[in-house]
Amino acid sequence: MELLSALSLGELALSFSRVPLFPVFDLSYFIVSLLYLKYEPGAVELSRRHPAASWLCAMLHCFGSYILADLLLGEPVIDYFSNSASVLLASAVWYLTFFCPLDLFYKCVSFLPIKLVFVAMKEVVRVRKIAVGIHHAHHHYHHGWFIMIATGWVKGSGVALMTNFEQLLRGIWKPETNEILHMSFPSKASLYGAVLFTLQQTRWLPMSRATLIFLFTMFMVSCKVFLTATHSHGSPFDVLEGYVCPVLFGTGWASDHHHDNHGSPHSGGPGPQHCPAAKSKEELGEGSRKKKTKKAD
Amino acid sequence: MDSPWDDLTLAFSHTSMFPFFDIAHYLVSVMAMKRQPGAAELARQNPVSSWFTAMLHCFGGGILSCMLLAEPPLKFLTNHTNVLLASSIWYIIFFCPCDLVSQAYSYLPVQLLAAGMKEVTRTWKIVGGVTHANSYYRNGWIVMIAIGWARGAGGAIMTKFEQLVKGDWKPGSDEWLKMSYPSKLTLLGSIMFTFQHTEHLAVSKHNLMFFYTVFLVTTKITMMVTETSSVTLAPFEDTLSRVLFGWQKQFSWCEKKSETKPSSNGTGSSASKPTAGASESVKKKHAKKTG
Repeated sequence: MELLSALSLGELALSFSRVPLFPVFDLSYFIVSLLYLKYEPGAVELSRRHPAASWLCAMLHCFGSYILADLLLGEPVIDYFSNSASVLLASAVWYLTFFCPLDLFYKCVSFLPIKLVFVAMKEVVRVRKIAVGIHHAHHHYHHGWFIMIATGWVKGSGVALMTNFEQLLRGIWKPETNEILHMSFPSKASLYGAVLFTLQQTRWLPMSRATLIFLFTMFMVSCKVFLTATHSHGSPFDVLEGYVCPVLFGTGWASDHHHDNHGSPHSGGPGPQHCPAAKSKEELGEGSRKKKTKKAD
Repeated sequence: MDSPWDDLTLAFSHTSMFPFFDIAHYLVSVMAMKRQPGAAELARQNPVSSWFTAMLHCFGGGILSCMLLAEPPLKFLTNHTNVLLASSIWYIIFFCPCDLVSQAYSYLPVQLLAAGMKEVTRTWKIVGGVTHANSYYRNGWIVMIAIGWARGAGGAIMTKFEQLVKGDWKPGSDEWLKMSYPSKLTLLGSIMFTFQHTEHLAVSKHNLMFFYTVFLVTTKITMMVTETSSVTLAPFEDTLSRVLFGWQKQFSWCEKKSETKPSSNGTGSSASKPTAGASESVKKKHAKKTG
């Protein structure tokens, strides 16, 4: 009986990892990315006055992960733009988001239940991108662990890592802030995910790739949907970091972090209770990568 | 089409850029660099930096397209003759006794000739970029357009970026976002040559090159003589932007009405509301201003 259930889980994961991303999931990725672009202050004005700059910005939001990964691996930066169908789809979404009559498209999409569905689908794409990125890096560098992690991380967090450059396109130049200084939940989760997938790729994690994709997607979807639904900007890792970091980096850091936690309007940390199963898996990679993250923090 | 005409355009499309047109391009680029405040003093104090900037002005488009295609950005240095030519032009412009070259250049016909010849090199660069990108990506027409555009007009972007790194210039002004007139024309040309290359445009290549070059040169010279910027494209652009991006202005009165009634968009997300509301009000303001 147990064997049967395990088999069906494996099969489910396998078929899940083979669902084609292109029309539907990619579409929701573009929609959510461009929604976030529209939330940025000044983005709407920019689209009225300089449509070309706004379009370029939108392309960065949609394809930033591919561009950065290509840049890191020494492949043509505009490689992904040879994929005309995706670019046209993203352009259509950009056009609808910013120029739809009555703002109808934007109003529909930002209606909370619909938005949650799109957010969930976006996380599916994110996890798949991490997995593909690590596979790709593995193809180039068989024992390059750090290269695999970096590529997976970049693929997962996408445009967030090139915020400065993206702001420059919009005419804002703020070199004093960047994503590495204030890592958001998706970037952190991508980093941890990249570590997990790298461990799996180098066979340190006794688990098939499909299963890992399935479990990590479940974790990401539930966390992100929960965070979006409660409008919280905290991250489920906050609590864990609160315990681990004082041990690793001393007391000075702890007080700093505490202050940070209480300073934010929304208290973070509903995640760990939310999905404990995936959490324990997180911890595996956590210890090894913690150092790097915190240094960055 | 009769054959002498074809012969003429074919011969024109086989013209070599190397000595004269390239010289004109370097001359115009370096003179534009010298016009910037502080460039002449910089050349006295720090010749290396000035030379580097001059090279960026002359070869910027090529560097940008190499970066986009993951080729070595310093590839232009392998072309010794062109680098030496550009360097010598930089030298005589900045260090010529009595500033003879600058004075000769300030004579309007010379300027017109040099600018016209520079526009000719632009066509060749666009064609080169489109063909080069096509050798990488057979069907990637977006890539072809982008590379053609980068080759033709990328120099401006590279020099802006160089100024940004040096700290001379802060983006905040609109100049960075507005596409300059040459880059719009280059984009148009890049699109046309790409469609010609993918055989969507039933014109032979040398004819297109000829007509595009004539168009570029005449618009450039008209602009220089009448001292206006952006003549030809403005009405066309206005119409296009009204058709493509003007929807919301037409409907803005409708939106205002729906705004007065609360909860028109139901139980919308309340956290996204502050930001969304802010952006919406900004937009509305803008629409009101223009509408």
